[in-house]
Amino acid sequence: MKTAMLNRFKSQAKSSLRLFVFTVLAFLLFPALVFGETWYVKSDRTKIQSDASSSSDVIGVLSQGTAVDVLEKTRRFYRISSSEGEGWVFKFKLTRRAPEGASSGGGGGGGLFDVLGGEEQTFAARESSSGSSIRGLNPVTQRYAESHGSSPESINAVNQMENFSVSQGDIDNFLKEGKLGAYGH
Amino acid sequence: MKKAGLVFIPIFILGLMAGTSYPFGLGDVFKEIDKTTRGVEQLTKPPEPVPPKVPTPDVPATPRISGAPTPPRPPTSAEPVKQVEETKKKGGGGLIGLGTSLGVIDKKTSKVLSTTTQTFKALQPIGYQEEKAIGEALAVEVFDKFGGQYKDDALQKYVNLVGQALVQVSDRADIPYYFSIVNTSDPNAFATPGGYVFVSRGLLQMLQSEAQLAGVLGHEIAHITQKHALKTIERSKSLQGIGTLSMTLLDEDPGKFNQLISEVSNTLFTKGLDKNLEHDADRLGMEYAYRLGYNPKGLIDFIRILGGTKSHRSIFFSTHPSPRARYSALKNKLGNYRAGAKYPHLASRYKTRTQGKL
Repeated sequence: MKTAMLNRFKSQAKSSLRLFVFTVLAFLLFPALVFGETWYVKSDRTKIQSDASSSSDVIGVLSQGTAVDVLEKTRRFYRISSSEGEGWVFKFKLTRRAPEGASSGGGGGGGLFDVLGGEEQTFAARESSSGSSIRGLNPVTQRYAESHGSSPESINAVNQMENFSVSQGDIDNFLKEGKLGAYGH
Repeated sequence: MKKAGLVFIPIFILGLMAGTSYPFGLGDVFKEIDKTTRGVEQLTKPPEPVPPKVPTPDVPATPRISGAPTPPRPPTSAEPVKQVEETKKKGGGGLIGLGTSLGVIDKKTSKVLSTTTQTFKALQPIGYQEEKAIGEALAVEVFDKFGGQYKDDALQKYVNLVGQALVQVSDRADIPYYFSIVNTSDPNAFATPGGYVFVSRGLLQMLQSEAQLAGVLGHEIAHITQKHALKTIERSKSLQGIGTLSMTLLDEDPGKFNQLISEVSNTLFTKGLDKNLEHDADRLGMEYAYRLGYNPKGLIDFIRILGGTKSHRSIFFSTHPSPRARYSALKNKLGNYRAGAKYPHLASRYKTRTQGKL
């Protein structure tokens, strides 16, 4: 009787230990199950949806470079948690690569200062770009084009292409009509 | 014994992870300990002498991003600038300068040594603002060389919708991209650094579906996301010894800018990029089209059509690998996109949107 009880105890202890080891290993090898991986938003106006479907409600919008935690993955959507809330994002709007500048310095750390630097750089690049479309060509380009006898039509054509814009609404409707992007199968 | 082994495994893995960056933050903890230890080591060493900072008013420390040229930084006092200028005139500081001052090295040798040192100074990666100026100048060249702009707002909007949607799933969506059509009957497509993409009227006439257009635009976008032309520029002989290509430098030295544009123009429109870069752009073009939900076969179909064309006036023949080589390389990749076999080609939408406009 005593031996039987001891054996049962031993077997229970063994299976508990196995369970413990398995849990610890799963915890260590697959951290995404518990903590989520950090991904970054590729472009502005990225939608967070209430479900893994483009027809579900839009519950938030993310800006380019925002870090999100990926909690769950399906074939085309990832469930994320972010400063703008929790929901689903079309997976190709996310990247593992941190915004430029965030990992500069070679340390791979990418502290708060680096991240802020990265955002600032992108912002500046966009500002200068929109500024350029108001002012016309970059003065260096303008001087080059004029000194090379480029036609005024070619200079105007570059100005025109820089000023030509399509709205995000237009892009969304276009994708929806073609069952593309987040609207695909 | 067995139990001990089982307990050891997670401890061993934990130990391994401490040396890597891991989302647990343990890596950081260990790094902090390491830093602290190094800090203690450093405290025990005598402090190394810090070289005095010399103001360098002409060259900014990092590539500039904002638009306007940098005004020269005001010197803290007139004297140090004068000293630097005089040092420059003497052939620079450092060992060469010292050698010259002591009379060990004559002026001619000093000049040769100085030039050699400059040649080995690696060019820093080109910043976005400079990249855009280069791409913009090349965009003017594209319109000059390839028939000017094809003016059709509806068609330009269509190309922009496909292009901008592709950009949003690409690997470099944080810069603006611009799309335009050039008025030539030759089937051509180009990308210049900084986000400029062009397709020709002749190419649009040749295509049969939106998936094919997406593949072609994806290929051009990939040249920009991967900075293919920019990397070629960074290896350019005319830029050796510069260190940092800044807007200030381009503004102050128009000759250097002209030389640079002429070299890149020759590479992009005459010699062509490295063939491997073209294959890389094909692979990514197919990938981006697939990410957006187009049938990835689109680009392959276009290359097959291109291979069958009689007119060989396109730069696709002079500056790209042969259509046969591109076709077989891409065909090998198609197996990675089995799910994409069901994705649409959107041939009828392409026909509707382009009909009567080309």
